[in-house]
Amino acid sequence: MTVRAVEPWTVEPVRRFIAESQARLVLVMTPAGQVLAQSGFTRAVDVMSASALAAGIVASTDELAALLRQARFGALSHQGALHGIHLMRCDTPRTPLLVLSVFGRNTSLGLVQLFAEQLAVELGESAPTEARPRLALAEDFERELHQSLNALFGT
Amino acid sequence: MNVAELNTALEQVTQVPRVLGAMVVSADEGIVVGEALMEGLQSNAVAALAASVSQKLAQTTGAAGLGSPSFVHLAAENGALLAVPAGLGLVIVVVAGRDVNVGLARLEMLKVAETIG
Amino acid sequence: MMTEDIRGLSAELARDPTSLVFLALAEALRKRGQLGAAGRVVRAGLQRHPQLADAHALLARILTDQRDFGQAFESWSTVLELVPGHAGAHQGLGFLYFRAGEFDDALAQLEEAARLAPDDPGIQRGIETVRAFAVERTTPAEVAPEEPADEGNGRAAVFGGLEGANKAVVLLDRHGRLLAGGLVRADGEDVAEQVAAFLAGVSQECERSARLLDLGVWTGLTAEAERGHVHIVPPTAETLLLLSRDRSVPLGRIAHLAERAAAAARRWLEEAE
Repeated sequence: MTVRAVEPWTVEPVRRFIAESQARLVLVMTPAGQVLAQSGFTRAVDVMSASALAAGIVASTDELAALLRQARFGALSHQGALHGIHLMRCDTPRTPLLVLSVFGRNTSLGLVQLFAEQLAVELGESAPTEARPRLALAEDFERELHQSLNALFGT
Repeated sequence: MNVAELNTALEQVTQVPRVLGAMVVSADEGIVVGEALMEGLQSNAVAALAASVSQKLAQTTGAAGLGSPSFVHLAAENGALLAVPAGLGLVIVVVAGRDVNVGLARLEMLKVAETIG
Repeated sequence: MMTEDIRGLSAELARDPTSLVFLALAEALRKRGQLGAAGRVVRAGLQRHPQLADAHALLARILTDQRDFGQAFESWSTVLELVPGHAGAHQGLGFLYFRAGEFDDALAQLEEAARLAPDDPGIQRGIETVRAFAVERTTPAEVAPEEPADEGNGRAAVFGGLEGANKAVVLLDRHGRLLAGGLVRADGEDVAEQVAAFLAGVSQECERSARLLDLGVWTGLTAEAERGHVHIVPPTAETLLLLSRDRSVPLGRIAHLAERAAAAARRWLEEAE
């Protein structure tokens, strides 16, 4: 399965994760919803929706954890009749990342969890240590968004 | 059967010499439901992989017209992975070292499966 | 026997349902491995010809192929009731006793068959085989004195000498493509291709599980199932072998048989190179 990435260092770990877990869709993003890599999505609008929703879910569960006075949840999952989702936070030297995986009945939540843990380790090891320059202007953000979508869909 | 009873039953399995750990796994999800003596073993890996082996083997025996497996034994150079499907969508899983008495382990696993129903 | 021949026999039977051509049709289907269809044809024929010993004998052979040994025993016994001194029935019963590990009864039946048909080399070979097993007192499972491997599925004959050589042993490559052997379900359907497709995934799962759990290289996978046992081994890094037996055969024995089949597969693969 093809992995498209804005950040090339994410490609190999995500490719290995897909090969092992048999996940159908994968998004690697920042907690703000900025997508670094994707696999399996065919429409930009789906990537944007999924990343925004995933970032929102993580933000909500972070607040729940705070209410419970405990550390953030590391991962959450839902199993549906046809598909399941797994949403995980992982730390890298540069920035925390979220990984959203959608998987079918050909694999299992256990396998996705297992290899997602491995993915988290590999992303942590592969990530560059230097910080990314902050985006200050709205037009910069727009430009970067279009560049990202081009990279993510090969257009 | 409650969790305490389940863990007690699993501990019986771990009494078999060279059994390194025993667990109950959800067959569909491949995640741990209960476990005993899994020191040095990555429980979630055992659960996910054992469930996956069992599921794929069940597809094979089904295609061969033999029905579902009631006992699975993956033998390797340094040990073995054993699985016994139980009721309620659960699988009893054992990781054992080399030269484990597979027959004895199987009997103990079947007892746990019977307890689960 | 080609498909056209079976069509011809079927047409002939349709024209005259009282004809004995059902015997030839059932035998043709049996040789093609279509055991379920063969059984249906011969049973339908027996409805019209219940006293026909040849039909009962053919049914016994089909049931033996289907590993329904209890019913096969009944059919051979019926043959003997209809035709006392039927050498084939004694031979068939000898095989069933042998398979059950009852060597004395097996020898008695085969010796009676030899007395009735002294020139049949198959019966003599059967007697020698049973005697050899009787000395070791091992459980027979792979040697079929008078049940030669029935090739005919177009695949390489690698496992000659093993019972069920083309009905219960398959060799495939790592991509799930069949290389040799065959697998026939109890209803007579050849399911080797379907099973091979699933087996490729099983092999990958075994390799991954053994590696990630630090168990070393995987050497075999055994399963007890509702209607039979299977043992899967990797004869080489690039191939996989599955051997299936009914539930009466102990798992340890099946593992031993699979190793023998794997050795035969390795020899064949080396020769092929």
